[in-house]
Parts: sequence; C-alpha cells; structure tokens
Amino acid sequence: MNRFLLKCFSLTLFFLIWVLLLPPRDASAVIDGISGNTFNLVAKEGHISTPDGGSVLLWGYAIGNGRVQYPGPTMIINEGDTITVTLRNELMQPVSILFPGQEDVQADGGIEGLITREALPTDDPGTPQDESTVTYTFTATHPGTYMYHSATFPELQVEMGLVGAIIVRPAGFNPNAPRAYNHPGTSYDREYLFLLTEMDPRIHETVEKFGVDALQGTDYLSNYFPNYWFINGRCAPDTMAQAFAPWLPTQPYNCLPRMHPGEKLLMRVIGGGRDLHPYHHHGNNSYIIARNGRMLESSPGMGPNLGMSVFTIKTIPGETVDAIFEWTGKDLGWDIYGTGPGFEHDCVDGNNDGFDDNTHEYCADHGKPLPVILPENQVLSFGDFYSGSPYLGKKGVLPPGAGTLNVYGGFFYMWHSHNEREMTNYDIFPGGMMTMLIIEAPGVPIP
Amino acid sequence: MIRINRLFVLGVLLGILLTWVNPCVSEVFVQCPGDLNGDAIPDPYLPGGAPNPEYRANVKCMHLAAGDGYITMADGTPMYIFSFADLTGVPPDQAIEKGMLAATFPAPTIVADEGDEFYLTLTNVGMMVRPDLFDPHTVHWHGFPNAASIFDGVPDASVAINMGSSFTYYYKVVEPGTFMYHCHVEATEHMQMGMLGNLYVRPAQNKLPDGTNLNGFTHHTGYHYVYNDGDGSTYYDVEYPIQIGSFDPEFHIANETVQPLPFAYMKDKYPMLNGRGYPDTINPDPLPPPPANINRGVHSQNITSLIEANHGQKILLRISNLNVTRFYTLGTVGIAMKVVGKDSRLLKGQNGEKLYYDTFSVTLGGGESTDVILDTSQVSPGTYFLYTTNLNYLNNNNEEFGGMMTEIVVK
Ligand SMILES: [Cu+2]
Ligand SMILES: [Cu+2]
Repeated sequence: MNRFLLKCFSLTLFFLIWVLLLPPRDASAVIDGISGNTFNLVAKEGHISTPDGGSVLLWGYAIGNGRVQYPGPTMIINEGDTITVTLRNELMQPVSILFPGQEDVQADGGIEGLITREALPTDDPGTPQDESTVTYTFTATHPGTYMYHSATFPELQVEMGLVGAIIVRPAGFNPNAPRAYNHPGTSYDREYLFLLTEMDPRIHETVEKFGVDALQGTDYLSNYFPNYWFINGRCAPDTMAQAFAPWLPTQPYNCLPRMHPGEKLLMRVIGGGRDLHPYHHHGNNSYIIARNGRMLESSPGMGPNLGMSVFTIKTIPGETVDAIFEWTGKDLGWDIYGTGPGFEHDCVDGNNDGFDDNTHEYCADHGKPLPVILPENQVLSFGDFYSGSPYLGKKGVLPPGAGTLNVYGGFFYMWHSHNEREMTNYDIFPGGMMTMLIIEAPGVPIP
Repeated sequence: MIRINRLFVLGVLLGILLTWVNPCVSEVFVQCPGDLNGDAIPDPYLPGGAPNPEYRANVKCMHLAAGDGYITMADGTPMYIFSFADLTGVPPDQAIEKGMLAATFPAPTIVADEGDEFYLTLTNVGMMVRPDLFDPHTVHWHGFPNAASIFDGVPDASVAINMGSSFTYYYKVVEPGTFMYHCHVEATEHMQMGMLGNLYVRPAQNKLPDGTNLNGFTHHTGYHYVYNDGDGSTYYDVEYPIQIGSFDPEFHIANETVQPLPFAYMKDKYPMLNGRGYPDTINPDPLPPPPANINRGVHSQNITSLIEANHGQKILLRISNLNVTRFYTLGTVGIAMKVVGKDSRLLKGQNGEKLYYDTFSVTLGGGESTDVILDTSQVSPGTYFLYTTNLNYLNNNNEEFGGMMTEIVVK
C-alpha cells in the first residue's frame, strides 16, 4: 500500500485525540440530535467533504435556518408524544418526508404527492395555502430506532442525502437507568448510532454539473455503483473525529463508541442506503434485541427472547437493528492488567460474579502472565491506535511516531463493513464504512 | 518460462533482503509449550523417553506462513494470490524456504476443541512475486469472544509482523462454533487477494462420558455436536466447512503486475466455494498444482466441497462468507437445511429457547457464518446441489456454467 496515503490517514486521525480529551457530557447525550415534540426542517443544498479531498453535492435536511446536514438531524422523541415536523423546501424540486415505522402519519400543506404530501420549491402567492411547506404529524406509539427520508423521487433524493434517524425513547425513560424498550432485557449503559449509507459519486457529479434531467441519459440510478460509504454521514477516518467539528460543517455527527469493561453498549444500526452491509463489530458478539423498532419477543412482556447473538449485523436497506454489545475480557487466560513489577493490582470479587467489583477484572485470570513473548519492536509494524502495551490502560515504549492516537491505553476494535471494498474512499484505502470501538480502562472518563 | 526465471531472480533478491533488513532480530520463532524442536508440534516425551514436564494435553499449536502463491481457477486461468501456508511440522530453519510461494486458497483450515490453549505462530515469508512490497501480515480470528486487541490482528489497533519474522497469537478457546480467519492488514487488498480461511471449534459436549443423559438424549463416545446444546439436537455424523468467496481477476492481475489496484472498480467475477468454482468444487482431492511450475509445484487448493454422506446420516455444513464485495445466498434443492447456529453461537433466544428453523436458502454477507444440518434420512439417495441462488454467479468469469455450486451425494 501507498505509504503517503497511510500518512494522510494518520494525520486526519490526529484530530481524534480532540474527541478523547473533550470534557464528559451527560450519558444520555451520546447520540447527538434534537429532542422535543416540534421540529422545523428545511430541505436545502450544500456539499459534504470526503477524506480523499472530495466534495460531494448534498441535498439534505437542515434544522430551521441552520446549515444543511448529512444525515438529517437525529430526532430524539418520547413514546406517546405527538410529534409535529414541519418541512420547508429550499431545493429546486419537490421534496417530502416519509416516516417508515410510524403509524397514522398525517400530512398537511404542500401538494398531493404519490406517497405523501410534498413541499414545492416555491409558494404560489395566488393560493391561500403555502405550497412550499408541509406539516407532518404522528404519535410515536412504539419505542425504538427508526429512519426518515424523502418520499419524492426517493431513488435520487435519498441518495442525494435526504435521510435521517429517529430515536423513540420508551415511556417513563430514565436517563440514569436507560432502556431501549419497555423491558429490563433491553437496558444499557451507553448508546451509539450507526446510520449506514453509501453514495455513487457519478450521480452527484451529474446533478451538479448538468442538472437532474441529465441523469436520464445514464443508467446510474438503476446500475448503482457506490464509491463512498458512510457512518452517520462521515467516511472513515472522519467518523472518529469530534462531533460538530468545524472543518466538517455539514457533517455534524461522528461515530466513536467507547465503553468500560462490563458495560452494555446499545448499537442502533440503520440501513439508510440501498445496499446491504455486513457490519462486523470486533471484540465480541452482540445480542440483537429488536428489528425495525419492534422488540424480538414471542409475546408481550417476554422481553427480547427471540433475539440472537451475532458477530456481524446484517444491515438491510430500510431496516433498523438494535443490538446490545458487551465486552468483559472474561476467559482470555491472562491478566489484562498485567503482571509483575509496575503492574501490581488486586482482584476483589465481593459480589461473587467472577469479576472485580470496581475494575471488572476477571479474577480467575488475575496474575496469569501473558502466555507468549512479543517480538522485538524492530520486527513489528505498529498501529496508530496501539498503546505499546498489550495490557488495558497501560502504555509501552513505541518507536517514534507510533501509537499517537491512543490517549488512555485503551483496547481498540475495528467496527466496519465486512464488504471490505466499502472500507475505501473512492479508490483509496483505508476509509469508508469504518470506525473504532474503544474499551477504556476503568476510571477513564467517557462522555 | 520467463516467469520462472523472473521468480527465481526475485526470490534470490528477497532472500538477500530478508537477511539484510534486520540481521540481528529477524528470525523464525515458534512458541509452543511442550514443543522441543520448533516444529509447532508439542512433544509428550523428552528425547530419552521421560515425560516432557512442559507438555500439556490441551495445548495445540500451528505454524502458518503468510506470503503469496498461485491457484488455478475453474476455467484454467492461473491466479496470483496472497494467503497462508501450513508450516506445522516444518523445522524452523526450513520454514521460510518452505513457506515461499506456498500460499493456499483457502488458507489452511484451523480446527480447535473447546478447552484448548491454541498457540498460532505466524511467519511472514514475504511476497516472492512482489519483492517491492514489504507488507506485514496478521491473523484475525474473526468472531473470537472477548478478544484482546493484541491478539485480534487488526494492524491499526495492535501490531503486525514484518517480513522474515514470527508472531505468536494465543487463544484460550472457550466458545465452540463456526468462525473464520483472515489477515487484517490493508484488509481490502489482502482479503481480495485471498488471505482467508475456515476456522471452527468443536464443543466440549463431544467429550462427555459414554452414556451421559442429555435431557433424554443418550450421548455415546464418538458422537459429535455443533454446540453444547444440552439435548443432542445438534448431533451430526459428517461435517464440511464451506467458505464462500469470490475474486476479481483484474485486481489480482494488477497486483501481480505491479499496477495501481482498482479498489473503486473492484468487481468479483470468480464466485467460489472453498477456493474453487464448479466443477472443481466436486473434485474430492487437492487440485493439481498450477501449470508451468509457477508456484514451485505446491498443491494450493486442498479443500474439496464435495459433500458426501451415507443415507440416514446427518450432514453439518459450517458455512462462512469471506468475500469482500457482496452478499451471497446459498440454496439447496430437494433437501432442507436446519439452521442451528449463527455467527459461532447456538441459535437460541435470551431465555434459552431453541430458535432452529428449516429452510432451503441462507444469505450471508462477508463476515457472517451459519451452521446448518441436512438430514439425509428424509430424502432418497442421490445427488443434490448446494448452489448460489444468485444465478448470475453460476459462472467462472467468462465460462458460462460453473461458479458457486457443489454437489451433495447421498449414498
Ligand atoms: Cu496480509
Ligand atoms: Cu473479519
């Protein structure tokens, strides 16, 4: 592989450190978005940037008069609430919003469209109603993870960026003991969003240079061939940069899951594009608790008893998956906090769950040395996320420049599309649909 | 013949490089408790015949070379690959020479038993045909539970071994199931090039004492199960790992001829099962070495996909997908598949309910696995097919008939 590109990747990743050093926020705010009952969205044009230096034409949803963004704002709402979403159109063609998974959505204003009411680019002053604005109203009857997207010329408009996520909190949601659904089997410590999409840059270039009508002379929409892949609207390594990074003004959301050993991480995964993606999460299996905002239970009250354990989440277009990921370090056969001088520590299991009550160390492996000798540094290549030590929370001696992106000695795990072609940014590896999970040592602050 | 001369020259150059890069530290170093001579086979006895105090019965070792080689596609085309070769049993001083150009596709199958301590030594023997590359390699045990990043094989998150040296991975094997393994260095390239293999773990339930009552099912010595099911419901008689894969010939040719690699236009055109397209899939033997001694005569395609059973037997297919471009559906005609496992776990719910189901097709993306049992007592003896129902992939590049298909022979 080209060493120059590798260096570019590293430089971009350097900004990752900023994320890690940001002050902790409220735990329930890990998924960035807007909450409430009333949302004002405006469809407008802009550009996103890709790590290969590309700039891609975007049609997206903006919050009111704010900047257009990809994906659209994540709407975080509560079960039982009546939600009003007003869409104003500043694009050059009609646009709308579809709310898959929501029931009895009422639409007012705009004009009649094929699937729902649509907002026109301009209001006709000769009529009493405002054709450029549509108001959608629905009651969020079920908790879960959902998406929304344009229902107007969707094979083009969703590709252009008119897509976003909706999270419905269960009734009686307690941010200090969060649950995805109304059952203790869905409780979690942290939650992260994984909205997976892709783009075929040929389509965006054609629309930008020659207009929408020029697509009719191509087979780009039917013979779809994407070359950018996104998590929450960013291609790796930008996925790992801070949220609301000033250099990514139209791509506010990041995706950098972090957790401590023994915690439960809720993955909210959305197939937001048109391809399937096998989303592989290194580190451990996860347990799927829901699909499309419906808990996988055999009858009401059973909890997610029809779920299953997977190491790759099959992400299907238009489908959402909620899965609970845990990593405990159990049964590795060696002490992940190290042995010998400099690594002194106890393992105290007062509650008899097999793990230290504070550090969550697996006590049966306490004091067992690493079973192999690691080679000399001279014969190894080092990753930017390697701490220099095999032990959690520890740092070791690394060659100059290596391991610069591991601030706290955490264990990093790649979470990526296992269609490895999708780990590129238009012919450049690495990139695309990829990020890292960080298992941080106990005591390391996580926002 | 030109190619062989070139290879020879490059090989010599590489040999020089290997000694020149790091003369002091670069060496083959096999770590295997109880192994006295570095061949990655634990020795129960010392040379004098006394028991070896270091020997532990649950320690298993394997020595893999990471490098390059050639295979032959079902339409006769030789294909340049990166992959692994099995060096277990080879003395360390011969390992580099033996591993050169010896890559096989799929990579050698890794089989472990629950309860094993598995020491996997990876020696990077370099790429003979690409001496301009100094790529490190890793082994990623895909799906390993509670993996530690040092042994997870992701180069960005840990370390990767450079040319001429060895790294030993340690796995305490506690979960049975169907996993898979691959190199994770420059994953799009190294995986498209073929660094992919079958990996599965047999459950402790296989080793129960004869006559153990499993919830009404009587276990006997020699019985096998896919998982620790507690009731014998995953019993099988014969097992076959079936790994889905596919290659883009343009990408392999570009790599072989030192051209820019077409990531953006990667399009797989050779759909395969266990590294072969039909009808090579049903050849029960290793395929002959690629033509013209191009890889020094190494048998590089050793895993048949011919599924054979006697009437009445239960067949376990351990299906995994490691292609890097798309989802594939595998279907059967005339014989049902009972899905009992997914992604290395028994298919059961949170409260332990079995969620097995019968089907005639399974769809897997890259990095997914599933375990299916075919009960031949339900069908007549004869030949059945396991094939991709994505019918456009029933071909070997431009050869119209072949591709991702094999036969299930019930005798
Ligand atoms: Cu490799
Ligand atoms: Cu993998």
